Amino acid sequence: MKHLTFLTILLLLFLNVLAQKRRITGTVTDKENNNPVPGVSVKAAGKAAFAQTDAQGHFSIEVPEGVTSLEFSFIGYQKQSAPLNGASAINIQLESAASGLNEVVVVGYGTQSKREFTGSAARISSAVIKDAPVQSFDQALSGRAAGVSIASPNGVLNNPPVIRIRGINSISLSSYPLVVIDGIPTNTGNISTSTAVPNNPLSDIDPADIESVDVLKDAASTSIYGSRAAAGVLLITTKRGKAGKSKVSYDGWTGVTKAARLPELLNAQQYMDIKNEGVLNARILGGNENNPAVASALYFPSYREDGSLVDTKWYDYIYRTAISHNHTVSLSGGTKATSYYFSANYSDQQGFVVDNSFKRKAVRFNVDHEATKWLKLKAGGAYNTTFNQSQNTGSLPNSTFLIIGAARMATALSPNVPVYNADGSYNLNQTSGTLGMGNNLVTNTLFNAAALFDLSRYTSENEHFLGNVGATIKLLKPLELTTTYSLDRLRTETVAFQSAKLGSTAYSTGGSVTNVTALRNNWNWTSTLSFNQTFGRHHVTALAGYDVQKFENSSWGAAQSKASDDFFEEYQGSWGAITTSGNGLAEKAFISYFSRLTYDLDNKYFITANFRRDGNSALGNDTKFGNFGGVSAGWVLSEEKFFHSNTINNLKLRASWGRVGNGNLPGEYAALNLYSAALYGTAATWYISQAGNSNLGWETSEQTNFGVDLGLLDNRIQVEATYFNNDVNGLILSTPQSPSKGIPNNSILLNVGSMYNRGIEFSVNAGIIRKADFSWDASFNYTHVKNKVTALADGNADIIGYTHTSSETSNITRVGESIGSLYGAKTAGVNPENGRRIFINKNGEKVQYSAVVKSGETNWTYLDGTPASAISASDYYLLGNALPKWYGGLSNNFRYKGFDLGVNFTYAGGNYVMNGTRSTLRDQRFYNNHTGILNRWTTAGQKTDVPRVVYNDVISNGTSYPISDNVEKGDFLRLQNVLLGYRVPASLLGNSGISSIRVYAQASNLFLVTGYTGTDPESSSNGNANTTPGVEKNAVGQGRTYTLGINVGF
Amino acid sequence: MRSAISKLSLILLLSFTACSQDELLNTEPDTSITAGNAFTTPSRILGLVNGAYDGVKNASFYGGRYLLYLDVRGEDFINITANSFTGFESWSNSYSSGSNDINNLWGAAYTAINLSNILIDGLSKSTGVISDSLNKQYVAEAKFIRALSYYSLVTIFARPYVEDQGASKGLPLRLQAETTSASNDLARSTVAEVYTRILADLDDAEAGLPDAHGSALLNTTRAHKSTAIALKTRVYLNQGNYARVIEESKKLVPQTTAPFSTTFGVQHKLQNIVTVFSSDYTTTESILSMPMTDLDSYTGQSSIAYIYNTNAEYYLNPSGIFGDAQWGSSDTRRSFLRLSSGRYYFQKYAKPSPFLDYIPVIRYAEVLLNYAEAAARTGNTDLSVALLKAVHSRSDATYTFAEDALGTEANLVNTIWKERRIELIGEGFRSNDLLRTLQTIPAKGSSSLQAAAVAPSAANYIFPSPNSELLTNKLF
Repeated sequence: MKHLTFLTILLLLFLNVLAQKRRITGTVTDKENNNPVPGVSVKAAGKAAFAQTDAQGHFSIEVPEGVTSLEFSFIGYQKQSAPLNGASAINIQLESAASGLNEVVVVGYGTQSKREFTGSAARISSAVIKDAPVQSFDQALSGRAAGVSIASPNGVLNNPPVIRIRGINSISLSSYPLVVIDGIPTNTGNISTSTAVPNNPLSDIDPADIESVDVLKDAASTSIYGSRAAAGVLLITTKRGKAGKSKVSYDGWTGVTKAARLPELLNAQQYMDIKNEGVLNARILGGNENNPAVASALYFPSYREDGSLVDTKWYDYIYRTAISHNHTVSLSGGTKATSYYFSANYSDQQGFVVDNSFKRKAVRFNVDHEATKWLKLKAGGAYNTTFNQSQNTGSLPNSTFLIIGAARMATALSPNVPVYNADGSYNLNQTSGTLGMGNNLVTNTLFNAAALFDLSRYTSENEHFLGNVGATIKLLKPLELTTTYSLDRLRTETVAFQSAKLGSTAYSTGGSVTNVTALRNNWNWTSTLSFNQTFGRHHVTALAGYDVQKFENSSWGAAQSKASDDFFEEYQGSWGAITTSGNGLAEKAFISYFSRLTYDLDNKYFITANFRRDGNSALGNDTKFGNFGGVSAGWVLSEEKFFHSNTINNLKLRASWGRVGNGNLPGEYAALNLYSAALYGTAATWYISQAGNSNLGWETSEQTNFGVDLGLLDNRIQVEATYFNNDVNGLILSTPQSPSKGIPNNSILLNVGSMYNRGIEFSVNAGIIRKADFSWDASFNYTHVKNKVTALADGNADIIGYTHTSSETSNITRVGESIGSLYGAKTAGVNPENGRRIFINKNGEKVQYSAVVKSGETNWTYLDGTPASAISASDYYLLGNALPKWYGGLSNNFRYKGFDLGVNFTYAGGNYVMNGTRSTLRDQRFYNNHTGILNRWTTAGQKTDVPRVVYNDVISNGTSYPISDNVEKGDFLRLQNVLLGYRVPASLLGNSGISSIRVYAQASNLFLVTGYTGTDPESSSNGNANTTPGVEKNAVGQGRTYTLGINVGF
Repeated sequence: MRSAISKLSLILLLSFTACSQDELLNTEPDTSITAGNAFTTPSRILGLVNGAYDGVKNASFYGGRYLLYLDVRGEDFINITANSFTGFESWSNSYSSGSNDINNLWGAAYTAINLSNILIDGLSKSTGVISDSLNKQYVAEAKFIRALSYYSLVTIFARPYVEDQGASKGLPLRLQAETTSASNDLARSTVAEVYTRILADLDDAEAGLPDAHGSALLNTTRAHKSTAIALKTRVYLNQGNYARVIEESKKLVPQTTAPFSTTFGVQHKLQNIVTVFSSDYTTTESILSMPMTDLDSYTGQSSIAYIYNTNAEYYLNPSGIFGDAQWGSSDTRRSFLRLSSGRYYFQKYAKPSPFLDYIPVIRYAEVLLNYAEAAARTGNTDLSVALLKAVHSRSDATYTFAEDALGTEANLVNTIWKERRIELIGEGFRSNDLLRTLQTIPAKGSSSLQAAAVAPSAANYIFPSPNSELLTNKLF
């Protein structure tokens, strides 16, 4: 509300400004065919004057004194600015944006025109990002570029999304692309030290500050980043000022988010019926049917004071309707010599899980200054604080099975007991502080969610400065020297607090608080010498450079327990015991020499070559340096004299090959055998803490790329098709060692193994309708990618991927299959005779399981009742590929007069998802169940997919280890985003000084079309992990968000 | 002008090489040492010795949970929470190869084994840093740790020795320091071969260990000569080799009538049982225990004190040893039980968080009972009864055994077994006492949770092999 008041005051101030005016007229035509272009926006730069061209392309605009130029813009055309120079008439030729050949492509350490560019890249503009209701810009890129897959692993705010550019390109190293912000490769991933609250440092950038995101996909474009580029590169360019009058803009939105697709649970009565049925079945199966010492029912109702049955809906205590708002003000402008951009952002977002929030305060400045004809200076900086808070939701990697996971509590907590006692206190077990079980005769290991949330707090807060200063010196005419120093200093404080009070997880330890602070100091110094010269028909550019980057990471902290009084909730309070927590100290450096040479002839034939030599401190002594590079070529066929076509006006062929590396080693000292120190009681110890590999060398990826770019019907339709093949060799594999060897973490990093990603990308951008009052632009992209592992360590031994615990063997990486395929016990439905789950053992035989048997019987039997061996890992099967084989997006933008409508779909499929949450929803312990359990087997001959309920059965439904019954297809179509905007006519703005106002309403994740029965097929309990994709287990799904927003320009 | 620009540029170009490549790229950590520096000083070598003990102290191993698994498998505890993270699968005999407990325990024990192997290997190459006699002592300590770890594994992951004199498959016998990716595949040696190695290591340990260390704390937390001998009485008892049990026991218990005590080195003898578990963890009764301190202890589900007492997840089975007449109401050991809502909870480890009760590995009382059993089996009834009574009367001086209970060899052995259940409850003995004598694990349960009986012929009579090993060791 405060912000609205502020805005109103601003509005009133501007309304008071009156100025002298004059009228300017003219015509706007299409440069290619000289046809008039109707509907073009004509704006006075920096002032509140606005007009549109009519059907004949004519316009007439009244501009205030002091206006020196007009801006012309229309969808499908490049924006153009024309100086007035005192003229009263002006004619403009607009160039189709679609022709795009002069569009700038940001490449490593420079830019190229799209015509020259021979690699494979995609550009995502600020329009897509700036109004999206997200915490970090990467979350808004879903479905926007071919070859780029972006998925939200869960619905907790500020999770790093799972980003894959042309598939997974590593096994043990990160497959997250290199993110370069204004020249400096930056920290990515989750930097929180708590498994409760995520912290993606990319959220430290206000999405509204971003001018463009360029995605480099093939080796020819990424190899300039050499060893860092195997997973692709995201180049982030922030906004800079342009010469001209100062522009002020305000962008704001406010929104609500709700949980989506929550499973329907049993009510209290159904819960008691099902659980007691399980208890009775266990009694019968155990041969205790007539044993009075064994109960036949353990679940009994509780009643409120008014006599009504207690029927608690735990969703109401764990989920909520969340409210968020975000505001950005920016100022930009400049003179011929100096330009500037300044912005400030405030964001306050709530998640739909109770207690989940995100706040950001950020300021940024970018300045460019031309000191002399030969010296240009630039500087930029952004400072911000971001604050993340969340209860443990069980959604982050390595938290799946934590008993405090909110998503699991939401479905598992017993509905037949109250949240509060009659006196208003929490309903708690007085010994353990877990949820009190009322009249039920069982003990529960889960906590009362309402009390737990009250009594715990998990936060992670960043203070981040990202800045750079640089100079460009023109030496001799074609020679330029550029040097840039960048600094990325990020301090994080992660706090976990659990109260000493009953109902908290730390009740037994008298409460606890853990503070960990981490400093990530990252600097980068890049210098390049560039050459650019045209000799007649020949155009040559060359670049040579040197780059040093150093990462210094230091973290330290302490955990305190035994609060001297349960009043204390902060580290600074009084506590009785303390131990260290979260200590870490490491440094890592890259030194690189790189070069690029481009040549083109007649603007028709293009060749680019890159070479880079990288040294990485984390590798073995003799293997620190690696050579990388690539070549690419392009041929603009449509420029040839022999080429004649009325429909095809642009045709370009391109091809590239290159070799890049992956330097994202999991540790800074991976090559070394290390011994660490600890305590044995009071005695100091040393013990082996890492088995290193002194020969650890580079993991490289050889990438081949063939593409064609097509422009049809005056470039109204643009098509790009690309074939790619990435062969990854020398994969650095965290190679599993037999646990009997006793090696730390049972793994050693080795350069073994190889795999490939092959596929095609296809994108179409079309200006379907372009009329004065109405336009329709559509863009569609499709990617097909096949991943196959071709070699692994030690005679191609399988690699098992675990989800949180060693019992959850959810994935397998096996030669001949796609990386991280789903893995587990194969099941074959339910035996109609007795309701037992049938498993298929390694010999292909059917065996059945009963959780309870009489003494002397075995739990596992063949279908004829003879004893069988228990199912173990040696019986597991590969259950399906977990990586989407195809994915993409479809976006449509409509404009009708002042209205605009954007509809953006994303889709993916060809993969399988382990719906592990279903095993929780059918858990036969005291957990509440999904209503699907009502179809359980009850009578002989009954055909159903739900086994007979047996109390404490943890095998039949996949509770103990994954089973194929929970594997489902992951195909989906999502309405990612729909946005309806309205631009207030300029005539209404009058002399207010406001040049434009646009209001919009937006909905995200509005619907999902899928056969998948879990919460969300894009969920990933293991986040960005390469070898354990496609597992949804006990995680919070994505929410559904509705926002209202406004863009105001002055 | 131009020359100025050129000069400036030259300076910049030169500064390209200003950063020292070696300094940037050759980094070593400040918080750990590289392998080459590990065996370079006496204190680091001592640190490696302590590190191997610390491996044994892993939460899944003798840090406590190993004891829990072995106790709750027996018939003396009733589980309340059905929580697989606090031993429910052991209680209900329902472990699978994928169970966390199985994989974690296996990994922890073999980690301790590798720490010992690295120590033995490093000491064999280290010259001049420490004296030869100290070198020999440390090797003996490493061998003791290796033997304890193999013993702990072979008794639960392999068929009982007495079933077929160790002919069945045992464990991969890892005797080399493992720090590289080689030799993932190693076939299992037989149970007999594993026992042979354990006993050879213990004989070596006995020879190399000192009679005593310099302090009561070290005598309890590091192995000395008696520690190796005491463990041998346990190992031989598992083999049913009573003559050797007696031979070893005599070294620690030379007397034939009470009072019993060791007469060399550390003078082991029975102490006040309450003291041993609450106020002085380093008396001469505690032959080996895992030390717990504020900075090095376990919490939550890693701590058995938390599971048994704080979180009250198990209570004494009324029809188990708790209800037996041999455990009289005036028995001091009843003070290890706590009554709450009609159930008796176990509080031998009674300290609240931080859980600083030492976890016992070997006590003198066990040696006496091992000796008593072997003596009973070999017809030396008087000695056996004397040993039994020494243990029992220490906690219940007025108790008199029924004549029948001591009358025949079978009855006497039975009475000793009962005494073990009373004396050693919560110290990780009961299920192995059943297994080493090929008895059925009895059924147990409450009205809500039941565990069926497990006959010696059943597959789940022993723990299943862990998936993590099955998947990586092709010769297993």
